[in-house]
Amino acid sequence: MTALFDVAAFDVIWLSLRVAAVAVASTLVPAIATGWLLARWNHPARAFVQGAVMLPLVLPPVVTGYLLLIVLGRSRPLGMLWHTLTGGHIAYTTGACVIAAAVVGFPLMVEAIRLAITAVDPRLEQVSRSLGRGRFDTFLRVTVPLAAPGILAGAVLAWARALGEFGATIVLAGNIAGQTRTIPLAVYTLLNARDGEAGVVVLIGISVTFSMAALLMSFRLSARDAQGRPIRARSETQ
Amino acid sequence: MIDARIVHRVAGFTLDVNVQSDGPVLGVFGASGSGKTTLLHALAGLARPQTARITIAGRVLSGTTHAEFLAPELRRASLVTQDPLLFPHRSVRDNLGYAPGASDRLESDEGQRILTMLRIGGLLDRATQRLSGGEQQRVAIGRALLADPAILLLDEPTSALDAELSRDVLALLLRVKEELGMPMVYVTHRAPELLAIADDCVVLDSGEVAAQGPPVRVLSRPRAFGVASLVGIDNLLFLEVVGHDEIGGASLLRLESEKLAVPLCDAQPGTSIGVGFYADDVLLCLERPAGISARNALECVVVSLHELGHDVLVELELGAQRLRARLTPGAVSELELKPGDRVVALIKSSAVHLLG
Repeated sequence: MTALFDVAAFDVIWLSLRVAAVAVASTLVPAIATGWLLARWNHPARAFVQGAVMLPLVLPPVVTGYLLLIVLGRSRPLGMLWHTLTGGHIAYTTGACVIAAAVVGFPLMVEAIRLAITAVDPRLEQVSRSLGRGRFDTFLRVTVPLAAPGILAGAVLAWARALGEFGATIVLAGNIAGQTRTIPLAVYTLLNARDGEAGVVVLIGISVTFSMAALLMSFRLSARDAQGRPIRARSETQ
Repeated sequence: MIDARIVHRVAGFTLDVNVQSDGPVLGVFGASGSGKTTLLHALAGLARPQTARITIAGRVLSGTTHAEFLAPELRRASLVTQDPLLFPHRSVRDNLGYAPGASDRLESDEGQRILTMLRIGGLLDRATQRLSGGEQQRVAIGRALLADPAILLLDEPTSALDAELSRDVLALLLRVKEELGMPMVYVTHRAPELLAIADDCVVLDSGEVAAQGPPVRVLSRPRAFGVASLVGIDNLLFLEVVGHDEIGGASLLRLESEKLAVPLCDAQPGTSIGVGFYADDVLLCLERPAGISARNALECVVVSLHELGHDVLVELELGAQRLRARLTPGAVSELELKPGDRVVALIKSSAVHLLG
């Protein structure tokens, strides 16, 4: 039983790491775009957009999961459209885990990126424009590199949050061993099983370790940002 | 060179100007809040005014229709600001090579010439954080020139530097003007700079053009506009050339009953030229000193004393002319200066700038 579980625990951890990584990787670009919009767009509608982006941060994750299910469920329009196009389903798949993790991690990432971009002196962007670089070019050559520590900090934070995602995942993706059973779902399952408590130690240890490491890394990156010493300039000066 | 009709309304402020100038250097003068930077941003395309008809060097940068509004990156108008605003994540070389095509230009003869002129050739591999303020500003000017602009837009480029570095940067910009023939719009609140570099100037006051014309004419009549206090702290005189002392290296100008020695110039005797000098460069003595190097020792009468921050501005009368000297409060009390006192004003001829 113990030996068998160890193999299962490895699968659970591996699945979780993959789900969190794919969730962050696939939302990084939209998060940078949204962070830039919220940092540089002066429009009354901005508060509304910001609210919509932040909503999953304060909404009960179960509610977020349910709302996603309403949209992406197998008999729902988007779910059916997906089925028609690909022959597959979204709900109750590993993909659903990724979506749930991405949605709850997104606000954390956007907020960190928004703060990092706000800290970039807009006059540097103006000078870049006057030197002949267009808006997008300027964004890639000036804004993103200078905000890079904050962007990375946000990505790490979102990854840690995705790793711990439970409520939205169990509603949208279910609790299918090997497919959607990530660390939190495995812990929940074990705690509900007879004699399962002993098995959660490893998973809890892994959870605490990864989360703490992610937080420390995120703090470190943010601290560099606050000094105005972006990573690239540091390496160039040494 | 430049023809601009701009109306730009933003919260609580309206810039409404009509500027025509043949340049090559157009000075924009005014107090802070007069609209100088707004005007520059409108020329650069960084602001989007309600009305903006702008033609620079024969190119329409902004016209009456939406389609005629060129984005900043298409205007070939490089901005140099008070803060050098070098990109902190890039080395000096990467800053200089930032504009499209600039890294190739940097390697060319033209690029080497710019590096030499600005004395930044030895800084290429430094991080921008390791540069002094003056070096940073020289790199910023180089970065702007290497973008191959049709015009340089300078927004108080010396204001963040101390007096000595300011003069250095100004001298470099004069070389850029003369050797590269680079047209400029030069925004400043320092009258002597404007007089040194601008061929033509506009004075802005509360978003409107208060005066326009050659700098000497405009600034030597400060009552003509509402920023007299800005100009008033410096000495601006329009004097007749008496003769030249070529061996002594000075030209002599008639200043009431005295003669003012200034750096040797080629103006014909009998003609009038404008000269200016900083109030800081005027020394006051109670008696005419002997054996001094300063060429000018002018007997004046103290008219009034004004405290300006940590300094005291002393107004002097020399016949019908007024001079101004800036002293420390300590110097004023040691000399026991009061209105009506007779003093001798010492001015090195090299401190006198020829204008226009």
